[in-house]
Amino acid sequence: MKNYPIWKSFTVVSLVLLGIVFAIPSIIYDENSENWFLKNKINLGLDLQGGSYLLLEVQLDVLYKEELDNFVDSVRLISRDQAVKIEKIDIQENEVVVFFNNKEKIKDIRDSFFQMYRGITLQINNNKLSIKLNDEYRKIIQDSAIKQSLEIVRKRIDESGTKEPLIQRSGKKRILLQLPGVKDPERIKDLLGKTAKLTFHIVDNDNLSALQNNLAPFGKIIVPDMYDENTKYLLDKRAVVGGENLVDAKGSFDQTEGHAVSFRFDTEGAQKFGKVTTNNIGKNLAVVLDGVVITAPRISSAITGGSGIITGNFNAQEASDLAVLLRAGALPAPLEIVEERSVGAGLGADSIAAGQIAAIIGMVLVCIFMILIYGAFGALANVSLIVNLFIIISLLGTIGATLTLPGIAGIVLTIGMAVDANVLIFERIKEESLKQTKVFQIVKNGFDRAMSTILDANITTLIAAVLLFAFGSGPIRGFSITLSLGVIASMFTALMLTNFLVYMYLSFANKKELKL
Amino acid sequence: MFGLNKIIPVEPNINFLGLRRNFLIFSILAILISIGLLSIKGLNLGIDFKGGTLIEVSTKNTSIGELREILSSSYSDVSLQEFGNENIILIRLQNKSNQESIETVNSVKNLIQDKVVEFRRSEFVGPTISSELLFRGFQAVSFALIAILIYIWLRFEWQFGFGAVVALTHDVLFTLGLLSILNVEFSLATIAAILTIAGYSINDTVVIFDRVRENLRKYKKLELVDLFNLSVNNTLSRTIMTSLTTLLALVSLFIFGGEVIRPFALTMIIGVIIGTYSSVFIAVPTLLIFKFRPQDEDD
Repeated sequence: MKNYPIWKSFTVVSLVLLGIVFAIPSIIYDENSENWFLKNKINLGLDLQGGSYLLLEVQLDVLYKEELDNFVDSVRLISRDQAVKIEKIDIQENEVVVFFNNKEKIKDIRDSFFQMYRGITLQINNNKLSIKLNDEYRKIIQDSAIKQSLEIVRKRIDESGTKEPLIQRSGKKRILLQLPGVKDPERIKDLLGKTAKLTFHIVDNDNLSALQNNLAPFGKIIVPDMYDENTKYLLDKRAVVGGENLVDAKGSFDQTEGHAVSFRFDTEGAQKFGKVTTNNIGKNLAVVLDGVVITAPRISSAITGGSGIITGNFNAQEASDLAVLLRAGALPAPLEIVEERSVGAGLGADSIAAGQIAAIIGMVLVCIFMILIYGAFGALANVSLIVNLFIIISLLGTIGATLTLPGIAGIVLTIGMAVDANVLIFERIKEESLKQTKVFQIVKNGFDRAMSTILDANITTLIAAVLLFAFGSGPIRGFSITLSLGVIASMFTALMLTNFLVYMYLSFANKKELKL
Repeated sequence: MFGLNKIIPVEPNINFLGLRRNFLIFSILAILISIGLLSIKGLNLGIDFKGGTLIEVSTKNTSIGELREILSSSYSDVSLQEFGNENIILIRLQNKSNQESIETVNSVKNLIQDKVVEFRRSEFVGPTISSELLFRGFQAVSFALIAILIYIWLRFEWQFGFGAVVALTHDVLFTLGLLSILNVEFSLATIAAILTIAGYSINDTVVIFDRVRENLRKYKKLELVDLFNLSVNNTLSRTIMTSLTTLLALVSLFIFGGEVIRPFALTMIIGVIIGTYSSVFIAVPTLLIFKFRPQDEDD
């Protein structure tokens, strides 16, 4: 072969071989292989392998409101200490305004308050103190809530036995969940739908008028029963001990009480629990889960061992699910499902099969067409096209990209568009062949002239693909990845492989004239 | 080889620019109708952008009518549609809030449990997400258009950039108009299709513009109209070939690629045809507005 540098042939051949070899893992597709080489296979997206995608939003408003309530409680305590009377408390969307009956001590109150909540915005206006939930403070609440939620969600999903879940933060207040193989996400949604905030409170049985008027005095709350909304309890607002002190919880069965959840406290929890039960014998202790009382048994004796059981009208599944939730811990705020996409394995398999058929038929049609139009040159372009496909597959496998249904569409589209570079080159060669007769000169000019057009044309497509990746979500990103890889691979195959093949063909066939 | 390459003459000499007025009128009409359709009829927004619930089921011993009867007793805004074949049915429901929807999926499943072989997929998009997705879709399309233009600006003279904008805007509006008439579902995949069309159409335009630029240097005396005609003719066989191979792949995707991907394939097919048309009949004639050579000012 004259005029064809050895280094160039070597590069082309080795890149092509690499492309073919690294496509093998994805073509064999051994799902559970641990082999380092066979592991380089394409990941299938949830829409192809079946599974569930959930997007959860942390209900931060609930937290902000909780924090404002805390402000009110604190300000009440402080003003009681300072012996200042509060005339009125006004709770707005993100600020609490407290009106005092005199303004002498308002500065002291402000300072004590600031000791407790650093970074909060406090303003005094005559006898009015406004406490504002400013942006920095909200951000702190937001960040810690998301971090905590992520951890709890992870624990709960692990407990549910889902294999290889993907759990990550998405944007400011969302959590993204990908659960491969989960066909029916209802149980997962149930597990995530509960905050699972568990607290123990002493019941106040003495103040009956408060319950009748449905008006809790300061330091108390009214909580309904889990099974009967009309039964209400008046409880100490302050929890004796909470779920954060639990170290273990299990579903259990009690001869007299039926299905129950047995739990164990850590040292701190056991101490608190022991102290309270010792001091309050004869009173009732309410077990509150997510704002409802599960049960409120009478404390008959001090419980110092640090363990106990929660009984309710549970069945076995409910008891074990509650145990899972308690083990995993409480979410700082409720989660709302804002997006869900679940695909059954059947549809996924159908999509793969349909995609393969479409790709093969598209490929065959394009190949036939190229041979009809360009003859032997068309056949060379077809070799490039097939290698192109191998390269896309091997790149997808080695960079660990995820193939989605739109991704398959991207590959099929690439099959049609990838020949464009070849067509540009062949058309130039055709034109050049009218001008002169030296075969190799014609080919060289053809490639050189087509080069800048090919670059311009493909870069514009790449720009669109990259932006699609930046702004798109999920499956659409899969499309932009295959499209980009396809465009890049097609530039390589046309400018290097087709070039190499054309030179080889012309040398071996010893062509003296070119007719396209 | 089989002489098929002779169908497209090596040096065609078709007077494309001579017909430019007719095509211009056609395109302006098409764009006006498209804008009208988009503002009156609008697009058939899928749940990605409208929010709601979608459930795909495969059924046995039942009909779409029976299922509709069962479901419409509980839901007022339920729509059912056969999807590919008569045993596969797509159920769409509108929801008002996020919470409602989770219950909706469960209760729909319970209602039709015994008629269903498999729940193939269920999707739910909440109202906040759908508006975000729509916003991001528009963002993606606008940024892509701007980025492509900047690239053209850098690589060519600004006049070419202008021609490319006109052609691209034409393609996007025209395609959206046809999607509206054909009532094709507008989803995230459609946005991807439109962006790809933008890329494809500009690709086509760039190839012709490249030739225009080359010919401007080569034939200093040729009248602009003739020069543009020559450039279009030079690149004609490439334009046709690439469009055909792309269409072959897309038609294959449309027929064999499965029901879910069909709207995407259809959108692309429409876009490729419009994109090819606009490169020749819109982008190039737009260049005539500008005087590329000093001597043309005498005309």
